[in-house]
Order: sequence, then C-alpha cells, then structure tokens
Amino acid sequence: MKKKTVKLSVLALVALTTGVISCSKKNNPTPAPNLSVSVTDSIQVPFSSTAPYTLYSFKDSSVVPNSDSASLKWDFGIRFVNIIVNSHASGPGNAAVITQPGVYETFTSAPETGYAYDTTTTQTAIDAGYTTGWYNYDPNDPTHTFHPKAGQFFVFKTADGHYVKMEILSVSYLPFTGPVPVTLIYKFRYTYQADGSRNF
Amino acid sequence: MVVVIFSDCATAQRQKDSAAKVLDEVVVTATRTENKVSNIPLPVQVISEKNIHFSGSQKLIDILQMQTGLVIANNPLGTALQGYPNPFGDGIQMQGLDPAYTLILVNGEPLIGRNAGIINLGRIAVGNIKQIEIIRGPATCLYGSDALAGVINIITEDPVKNSLNLQAHYATNNTIGLTAAGAIKKKKTALELFINRYSSDGYDLDKNIYGKTIDPFVDYSASAKLTYNISIKNKLTLSARYFSEKQFNNYLIYPQSEPQIVKGTTAETDGSLFARYDHKVNGGLNYTASVYTTSYTNNAGVYLKRNDSLYEKIQLTDFLLRPEIQVNVGKNPAVLFVAGAGYNFETVNSTRYSSRKELDAWYAFVQKQIQWKDKTNIIMGARFDKNSLYPAQLSPKLAVAYKLTPAFILKGSIGAGFKAPDFRQQFLNFSNSLIGYTILGASELGHGLQMLQKTGQINPDINLDPYMRGYQLSPEKSIGINAGFDYTINSHAVFKVNFFRNDISNLIESYNLPFNKTNNQSIFSYMNLDKVFTEGTEVNFSYNFNQNFSLFGGYQYLIAKDKKILQQIKDGKLYKRDPDTYVTTLVTKGEYKGLYNRSRNTANLRFQYNNLGCKANAFITVKYRGAYGFSGLDGFQNGSGVYTDERESVKGFVLLNATVSKRLVTRWEVQGGIENILNYKNPLLMPNIYGRTYFINANFKLEK
Repeated sequence: MKKKTVKLSVLALVALTTGVISCSKKNNPTPAPNLSVSVTDSIQVPFSSTAPYTLYSFKDSSVVPNSDSASLKWDFGIRFVNIIVNSHASGPGNAAVITQPGVYETFTSAPETGYAYDTTTTQTAIDAGYTTGWYNYDPNDPTHTFHPKAGQFFVFKTADGHYVKMEILSVSYLPFTGPVPVTLIYKFRYTYQADGSRNF
Repeated sequence: MVVVIFSDCATAQRQKDSAAKVLDEVVVTATRTENKVSNIPLPVQVISEKNIHFSGSQKLIDILQMQTGLVIANNPLGTALQGYPNPFGDGIQMQGLDPAYTLILVNGEPLIGRNAGIINLGRIAVGNIKQIEIIRGPATCLYGSDALAGVINIITEDPVKNSLNLQAHYATNNTIGLTAAGAIKKKKTALELFINRYSSDGYDLDKNIYGKTIDPFVDYSASAKLTYNISIKNKLTLSARYFSEKQFNNYLIYPQSEPQIVKGTTAETDGSLFARYDHKVNGGLNYTASVYTTSYTNNAGVYLKRNDSLYEKIQLTDFLLRPEIQVNVGKNPAVLFVAGAGYNFETVNSTRYSSRKELDAWYAFVQKQIQWKDKTNIIMGARFDKNSLYPAQLSPKLAVAYKLTPAFILKGSIGAGFKAPDFRQQFLNFSNSLIGYTILGASELGHGLQMLQKTGQINPDINLDPYMRGYQLSPEKSIGINAGFDYTINSHAVFKVNFFRNDISNLIESYNLPFNKTNNQSIFSYMNLDKVFTEGTEVNFSYNFNQNFSLFGGYQYLIAKDKKILQQIKDGKLYKRDPDTYVTTLVTKGEYKGLYNRSRNTANLRFQYNNLGCKANAFITVKYRGAYGFSGLDGFQNGSGVYTDERESVKGFVLLNATVSKRLVTRWEVQGGIENILNYKNPLLMPNIYGRTYFINANFKLEK
C-alpha cells in the first residue's frame, strides 16, 4: 500500500502569520483572504520505466487511481524519472508547466505565459534527461540516486486552471535486496492557490 | 616477533654511522635513455627491488598505494553491485587524476585492456620486478596517449648472472603464492624465466548479500627474457609475457524481480611478445629497433544454477601491434639527441560493439638534452601522433634543472598531454535491458540511431539527419606544470618538493540526446565537454640515520576542481538545498570543495631497520588517506550535484603494514607480515580492503 504523509506545518505557519497580521490590522478592511494551501507530501512510484504513471492531484493532495487517467482529476504523473502533465498527449486536461530557476520560498507570483505542454509522448513539458533534466545523477554514485537539482522548481497550471508552485525535495528508495530498487519515494512540496489567482 | 628475531644479535651490529648514502638511482623512463635521477629535471620516483622484497607483498597495487600521492581509486560503479563481481578492478589515482590518465608500462611497453579506464594491476606479478619508475607530469611527448598524470613503468629483472629464486607465500583467505624465477648466463646468451601461481578464496564483507565481495580466483603468470650479445656492438633481446586469471563467480540476479542464482567464470588473459635489436654504430650513435605485440581478452559467462542455461556472455578482445625505432645521437648525458618513430595497429572486438573496430596510428618523437656549464640541464622534446579516428596531436615538453649549489637543484617542466577517446566512447552500442536506455559511442551514433528507428524504438517523425555523421570526438588534453627543488641536506638526507598543476580540457562526458526512445528512455552518447584542474604539492624526504636504519616520508596536498562548476558559482547559478530545512541558497566559492573522491591530504611513511649482524630486517609502511568527498554518501543529497557539504565526506583512514625478514641459513629466508594492522574496513566504499591480514613467506635464493 502507498504510504502518504501530509505535513501541514507550512500551512499552519501561514495561517498563524495571517492571523497575527489580521489581528493587528483589525480596523482596516480585510483584504481578500489568501486561499493558498501549502503541502509537503511523499508518494511511492515503481522503479520501472514501463509501469503506468503514478498520477497526483494537487487539489486533493493525493494519488489518483489510474482508472481516472482520462479525467481532469489529476495534474501530473511520475514514472521512473519521467514526469507528465495532464494535457495533449498525456491527458484530457489543460495542465502545463514552467521549469523555473531560482529560490522556491521567495517565488510569489506565477507568470501569465510561457507554459509548456506534453506535445507528444516522447517530448514532454518537463525535461527528464540525464544531464539536462530536473535531477542530477552521478553514475559513479553507488547509491544510484536521483538528486533533484537545487534552485529549480516547477510552476504548474493545473488541469482545471489553478496555479501551483512545486519543488521536488528528494528521491529515495524503499529498502531493497536485489541489485535494483523496487520503489522510488518522491518527496515534494507545493503551494496550491485555490482562489484562482497567480499569487502564492 | 620482532623482539625474538632481533634479540640474539643486539650487540652484533654497533657500527658507526658510515656510508649510508641516499642512492642516486638510474632510470630509463624519464628520457627513454639511462639517466641518473639527479640529472633529470622531472619529478621521478623509484621503488627498488629491495623495497618490494622487504615488504613481502604480492600485490603491485598495495606497493604503489604506499607511495607519495598515489591512492587507490576503485571504480565506484563496482562498489554497489550487491555481490556482483566488480568488472573494473582498482586503479591508481596520481596527482588527483583518475586511473585512466596514468600510463602503465611493463619494460617500456604499454599494457592494453582497460575496463572503464582501469587496468587490472593484478595482471602484473611482483616476483621479478627489478624496479618501478614513476614519472609525474605529462609524458605524452615520449609515450603518447594516456600519460597525462604520468607514467608508471614496471621494469623486470634482466638475466645478468646464474640464479634461482623460489618463494612460497601464504596469507589470510587461503591466499597462496608460488613463485619460481631462474636465470642462466652462458657467454653471449642469457635467459631469464619466471613463473607464478597466485590464488585466493576471496572474501565476503557483507553476509546479507548473496555472493562474495571478492570472488575466488586463480592467476598464472609466466615470462621469459632472452638476451643474445651478437657482438660488442649488437644485442638482441626477446621476451614474452603471459598472464591468465580465472574468477569464480556466484551471485544473485533478478530477471523478473524473482531472484535466481547464477554461476560462472570471468577469465582474463594478457600476453605479449617483444623483440628488440640494439646496435651501437659508433661511440656517438646507436639505435634500437623493436616490435611489440600484445593481446588482452576478457570473457565472462554466467549460467543459471537452476537449469544450467546460459544467462549472459560478455567478450572483449583487444590487440596491439607496434613496431618502433629509436636513434640516440651523442654521449649521455651532456649532449644527447633522441629521435624515434613507430606505428600502432590496434583492434578491438566486443559483444558490446556492432563489429570489429580498428585503429591505425603512427607517431614520431624527438628529444634533445643539453647540459650547459655543468649547472643547467635542459630537456626539450615533442611528439606527433597521427591517428585514423581523431585529429592529429602535437605534444611538446620543456624541462629545466638548475644547480643553485651542488646540493640544491631547482627543477621545472611544462608539457602537453592527451588521452585518445577510448573504444567505448567511440563504438559502444549498448541498450540496458532492465531500464531501457541506450548508449551509443560517438562514431556509432548515426548507425545506432538508424537501427533504433528501423526497429521502431525511435519515433519515425524524428529527423536523424543531423546525427548521421556521428560526432567527431577529440582527445582529452592537458597542460601539466611541475616545479620544485631537490635539496641534498647531507649525504644521507634528501628533501624534495614539487608543486604541480594540471589543466585538463575537452573531457569526454556522456550526454543525452534531445529526444527519447519510444519507451520514453534516454539515448546517451559522448561529447567533449568539461574542463577540470588539479593542483597541489608533493613533499618527499629520505633520511638514512645509519647503515641499519632509514626513513622515507611523503606528503601530498591536493585541490581538484571542475571549471564549469566554478563558472556557475561565479554566475550565481548553482544552488544547494539543505536536506533538513529545505532552505535553498546559492553555493559560494568557499563551499565548493572540489571533485569527489580526492583527498586533500595524503601522507606516507616507510621505516626500514636492517640488521646485518643477525641478517634480519624490519619494514614498516604507513599510509594516511585524508577525508574525501563521496557523492550521495549515506543518502545525502542537497541538489547541488557537487561536493559542498561535510556530510558527504568520507573520514580519513590509516593503513599500517609491517614485515620482518630473517635469513636462516645462507640460502633461506623467512618473512612474516601483517597488513592493515589497524584493521580499517569500509565494505561499501573500499571493498578492496578486507581488514587485517597476515602472511608468511619462505624464500630460497641461489646465486653464482
């Protein structure tokens, strides 16, 4: 079974901060509440380049069963190191993504344009190439792990048109006995803007 | 044990300090002519037959790793094989450069058959080594490709007198070495024969993994050298060398994630034939004509234990033929001019290449030595290599020594080196069956891609025209600078310092093509990409306290960095992410520690106590390898892709060996030793180290 840990500490921190601010500015008209949701999650993905993609929904913070692959319920999917978004060749949605250099925490506003789609099954929006892709891989590293590049994250437009910033934090393996891992663990964090705006 | 051996003769040897001079050895590797070390303006180091003998060691790599600045670099690819046999072996890192960048010669001729850049040094038996010469800095101007960090030349015994040597060696892990060497000299003819059998049960460092860490093996080595003095002026030398190793493999594979035991063997053979004719035309002119041919094979085959059916077979055959001529004009060393030329014909055949591959090359070199006013010694040289597969290379070198005082000699040299793209980088055509990616050598690119598209593994819409001609790989290039001094403090103390810097460009790296296969896996090929440098200092000192007691010490300080990474840091483009707090920050110049697997500090000490009175000897060697970075150590990742965090540092360690030798009767000697006395172990990163081992040798020597 897939194990899921959702940490809402960031969310709690955001709520607390907004709370403090709103207290001190009691008499002023309250600005539109920031409905952004911040989540840190881990999902398990088979170590296989032929298994079906493991699909994920930002809104629900959960893995979407593969039977729903032809729906708008999922936003992105992972298979091995390849990442798809729910659009064109990959799904019926209109999801798109920008690979954004810089620091995740200080990134506050999603761009209006510049998003890439999965135009074909072999030319996807997110580059998963060995040297050019979203991760570092050192063939000399005996642990054979994929290290998500620091200072680089993703800005998503979800299948239903919301904006999300997402950073993959680590990729590790479940313990394994053979020469090759069986299950990858992707740990990532994201901020989902529920109000439909581009601000985080 | 030491006490017992030396107790009966404590009073026998109380000689006054006398004539315990530090030797000025004669070497041939540095200039391709005989030369005293003090005359050579290059960093030269000699490991003598005595040192090898007193260490009692059977393994060349263990002897080499005790030398200044040399560390074992085992290919990390081989370390995580979970019981799989390591197909690459261990090599020697010199001046911070990987094993692929040091040329390994036996009697001046190269060994072939590198696996992932590494030559299995176990192919060289130590029983008949006369001396090992190590030249640091590029030696491409004399030896061509691969000699970027330098050259290690293993020189075997010449038949100079009638002799017979026998040795039996027994060590931990049921390791047995049997050696017989003999020489016969009769008037004009002399013959040297050597045979060795070396075997071990191997060992297992992790019982949780099926299969041994080091599999059992049996090695056989044999060599013969015949010299015939046709006249005072003419000499003929013929030699042959053969080595075979059989490894017995037994491990688990996971064909459909269902473990299966496979059994089989990995067999390596290495043979060579060499013929040389020396002719002294007159006092000032002589020449040498030689033909060298060598062949290396590596055949591995494993079978499913369940039904004895073949699971996998890998074969590699490498062949080299090299005729060469060298002319020496002038008297050594005052004014000597050396010129030579040769031709290389190399073929390789492998299950991982699409067909048999050939490489044609010819080369010519010149070298001029000038001794000027007794104080200055200059060597100028250059070599030209023309090759069928990559652009021609010109490799010049200049070296100068200046005697400030007779005891203080300044030395400096600058030279160019190159490393030809290897067969794998040119011709590999390999698809991983488990994950599904494909690697194509640069020359194989067009053909390989076409085949993939034909078989439906590449989308037919992708235009392959830009790749049809392949990619022209260039050799990796280096500029090496060495500068320092030799200071002879007195007749029994010498102090040497050498500063070095190597700038390597055109490094060949793998990259992925901008489109994927239809299974969405990448296609990789090779390109000239990176630039790195290594720099540092080597310090050596020898001190002979008296005839009985001598000390040799060395230290190396090393920095090795990637220039592309330095540029990224400068441009503010390289980030790291703290694995605990996920805070992302820019990597600063100070945080970047350099390339993985390089120790900033290494040090070594050799201590020898010789008691002639009781015919006994104690020999102790110590090696310290300082902390070094290791990618992904303990699962650490901060997303920078480079060594920027202490948590990726492997702790430094010390290897301590001690051997005592005792002559029993005139012809017999026994030796006993302990290697790795401190019992250092690191099964994951250093599977080549078993832990503490013990050995005993019985030696018989007859000379007439």
